Amino acid sequence: MADDAIAFELSEEDELRVQWYALLARLLGASPDRELLSMLAGLKGNEGELGEAVNALAAAARASDPKTLEEEYFDLFIGVGQGELVPFGSYYLTGFLHEKPLAKLRGDMRLLGIAREESVKEPEDHISALCEMMAGLISGSFGAPADLAEQRRFFDTHVGCWAPRFFEDLQAARNARFYMPVGTIGRLFMAIEAQAFEMAA
Amino acid sequence: MKQAEVKSQSRRDFFRKAGLGAGALGATAVTLAAGRGEAAEPVRSASAAGYRETDHVKKYYELAKF
Repeated sequence: MADDAIAFELSEEDELRVQWYALLARLLGASPDRELLSMLAGLKGNEGELGEAVNALAAAARASDPKTLEEEYFDLFIGVGQGELVPFGSYYLTGFLHEKPLAKLRGDMRLLGIAREESVKEPEDHISALCEMMAGLISGSFGAPADLAEQRRFFDTHVGCWAPRFFEDLQAARNARFYMPVGTIGRLFMAIEAQAFEMAA
Repeated sequence: MKQAEVKSQSRRDFFRKAGLGAGALGATAVTLAAGRGEAAEPVRSASAAGYRETDHVKKYYELAKF
């Protein structure tokens, strides 16, 4: 509800962080539909590296259609047997799915009061889910917003320790065309987040 | 200025300089949320993977009448 966002007085930069996380969660959770593509097509980046990546994403959105992107998404993240990339924290951290990092995440989710929808079958350490959880922790959509220290703890334990590598891989992936700038945006955003947490400490 | 205020100000400036700032994404993210049938909830736009608060948290908010 818009109401509780006001009640919690989300600062301007936190609102932006929520939106970047939300965008990454959406793009990595499923291939974009026509509606999302037309929104992305209208993006205009600010100056700088991140802005350039946003412009590249907008251009890619203008040149793509949902059907092709469905295939690209499949080849990248799902695949027959396995996609080109395996977008799960446990896999990046241990080389296997469903390992200790996932158990640890589930424990932290319980403490934070976050649950997976029953319709979701994949493990919770999917990159899209983690971006969504970061957004929720910042905005307070899982309850009260987490303070910076708590956000940082979650970020360091479950996101910052592997997501930068994942986004680098995405940026360089053979099958990534539309998703190449998504990788760049993710990589830059992770670095910004890590540095900002450092500053706040 | 208190130490904490200095920190939060420099953090704000940092995000601005990093190019996260308004303009690029603002309108999109809100529409993103609308696209998922949550027009009234721009800050809750992240529902791609289907995560939600657990029931006991929800119950708490019901009771607290948020």
